[in-house]
Amino acid sequence: MQEFLGVLQNIIRPEVLIFAALGTLLGVYVGAIPGLSGTMAVSLLVSLTYAWSEVPAISLIMGVFVGVVYGGSRSAILLNIPGAPAAVATGFDGYPLAQKGKAAQAMGLACIQSFIGTLLGIFALAFLTPQIAQISSVFRSVDFLLLGLLALLLVGSVSRGSLLKGLLGASIGLFLGCVGKPSQFSVNRFTLSLRYLDGGISFIVAMIGLFGAGEALYQLSVDYPAVKQEAPKRIVPPIKTILKHLPLTVSSALIGIFVGALPGAGGDMAALLGYDAAKRTVRKNETPFGEGAVEGLIAPETANNAAIGGALIPMLTLGIPGDAITAVLLGALSMHGVSHYSLMTARPNLFSLILAALVIASLFLLLFGLTGIRVFVKLLKIPKGILMPIILMLCIVGAYAINTNLYDVLLMVGFGFLGFTLKRFQYPVAPVVLGLILHELLESNAVRVIRLWGNPEMFSFLTPILFAALIALPIISRICGRKDRA
Amino acid sequence: MKRLLALLLTVFLLTGCANTAVNGIIQWGEGGGTDKLMRPLCSYTEAHLDGSISLRNMPGGTGTVATQYVFDKPADGNTLLLGAENPAMYDALGLSDLTYADFDCVLLIGSETVGVTVAADSPYADFASLIDAAKANPGKIRLATTAKGGLPWTVARFIESVTGATFNEIPYDSDATAANAVLNGECEVTVMKLQAGLDAAKDGKLRYLCMLTDTPVEALPDVMPITAYDSAFNAFLPWGPFYGVFVKKGTDPSVREKLTEAFRKGFEDPAYQKLLADLCVDPLGLSGDDADAWIDAWRKSSLSALNAE
Repeated sequence: MQEFLGVLQNIIRPEVLIFAALGTLLGVYVGAIPGLSGTMAVSLLVSLTYAWSEVPAISLIMGVFVGVVYGGSRSAILLNIPGAPAAVATGFDGYPLAQKGKAAQAMGLACIQSFIGTLLGIFALAFLTPQIAQISSVFRSVDFLLLGLLALLLVGSVSRGSLLKGLLGASIGLFLGCVGKPSQFSVNRFTLSLRYLDGGISFIVAMIGLFGAGEALYQLSVDYPAVKQEAPKRIVPPIKTILKHLPLTVSSALIGIFVGALPGAGGDMAALLGYDAAKRTVRKNETPFGEGAVEGLIAPETANNAAIGGALIPMLTLGIPGDAITAVLLGALSMHGVSHYSLMTARPNLFSLILAALVIASLFLLLFGLTGIRVFVKLLKIPKGILMPIILMLCIVGAYAINTNLYDVLLMVGFGFLGFTLKRFQYPVAPVVLGLILHELLESNAVRVIRLWGNPEMFSFLTPILFAALIALPIISRICGRKDRA
Repeated sequence: MKRLLALLLTVFLLTGCANTAVNGIIQWGEGGGTDKLMRPLCSYTEAHLDGSISLRNMPGGTGTVATQYVFDKPADGNTLLLGAENPAMYDALGLSDLTYADFDCVLLIGSETVGVTVAADSPYADFASLIDAAKANPGKIRLATTAKGGLPWTVARFIESVTGATFNEIPYDSDATAANAVLNGECEVTVMKLQAGLDAAKDGKLRYLCMLTDTPVEALPDVMPITAYDSAFNAFLPWGPFYGVFVKKGTDPSVREKLTEAFRKGFEDPAYQKLLADLCVDPLGLSGDDADAWIDAWRKSSLSALNAE
């Protein structure tokens, strides 16, 4: 009760209100620009806020966090360029929806789902933190490895048509992930003696190139007229649609919260796994997944925003950041004199401040997320011959903005041609990005598991559960699958 | 259309801003130990510089990526390496040809105390029982590290050279995940900075078995110094991670001195000194020859451990 009062007290503070709102506005628009990632925006703001007191600083950062995760969906839906890694999965069905003339409705739905996702994440943060922290802290390397393998199965979900083509794409992605100096070994892999590649291939550069530049080049190469957008009567989706998909929303949010709470897995993984689960479980969808199914938009947009609450859980209880943005946040908090590993117990006031700022940010997300959509949709009315070169330019600027490094631009162009070639020969692009995202998680945990399992005790402890699960899972899914078809 | 142009303009402005300032390259990731010290220092220092300092994290390859990046830039004092101790040992570890000998020290900020850590319910009551167990099962006790050249890895070399005990070293992404591996039982032991483990130790979640010092530390007076186990460890002490601001060697001395002056003012700011105290960092505040001598001594300790391997 006291905590609840604390949150309420914070919500009505004008500074919390103003700065959380400002942060959300900034986040939505920064998130929509490919290349300006949430992590970057937050680190930039964090250095601005040193001299500030704790309350406005944290309110602003929380606002940006919420805004940026939604903002990334706008460019993903409109242009198939995810504004942020967390929006990769949004493009799978969001972009086809826009291609069908439903861009405004898609963005409206994405906003509402992001709002609900954020709220459910806040709910988990407020009431289930100890339990979730308990589960996420016992996650061991082998569990992370299995999670990575599970996510790799997404290749099946995101490669339309030929699975073989999808597997080839994922292999390219995993291979490109190997480039650079891995954290566990001090050797250079596939760097072609270029120092630039020592740090590996930036995932964001690859994403802008493959999705953005690749799509723009492809659009220029094929000759079909611009899609006529339906004049949206209403941007806010009817309450019936939202209620109909409530079970999916809740299950996606649960996935988002849990994946977000795992250290090293953030909104991008949450959205991908949420999309995958939706594709496996939703049966009565009107449109097939990948061709503009609303379910394929609802799941990732709910999951990635729910992951915000999730990612804050290990940060607040164990001092372990749940994703890149919370890592920056943790650093910022230490500058404000907060250094205890368990902020929950050491600073209960801070906890209620974070909750209050998140609640306000999610409310303002509705406001800022549902406005400006009509203007954004007008982008699609620009003739292709003008719009696509602008997108190409935006890709170049975006790639340059990441590190103000010209090599990033060159690499982005390379990925653009790769994306174009893949599309030209009808290979799906998403598995390449998937491979790149998952490489680090898979490799670092595989190395740990191999070293750990050299120890027989560990081996005997894990084997029975693991093998039982491995044997049981296909059998269960087989049985369930039959029931479905019957 | 107008909005799009406005967006483009914003991006150009943002990237433009990044170019006009002094660039500070942080060697480790956002939120890490180095990041936590460097960002506030730069923000206190900016007040004493003509322009601002634009910060960027460039993690990778135990910091070699950032070190190489700064080295490849002109020696004009416009690109700063905001680094930790790692480059001092790059050549010896085969990580890179560069070391701090290729850079001039603007300001050595401070160093930290580290200790050998286990979970509270660990069967190892003290450092001696851990070493006995490791000797009885060579290469079997699971030690969470942060990869070759990192803190637990280096301390494992010290322990190996004095006692002969070897561990099964498991590399993690950061000291926080390594600590969690000890807490959830995946690993049995790790080496942690005092800053990272002090609160957990006070709450009874972690136990420091010993500190890499020759006298007990003030914050945890009951934890024995490692020299109490074997005075041979004295050869490597004092040893602990350190942090400093560097420019490429050959930078005009007047430029460097101007930077030193500004950074020293930032460093001496009472708020920054309080931060250092909160983070259990022992302030050094050295520059020029004093800093070089300090790093040389540190490097000799570390090298002697490596050569003994």
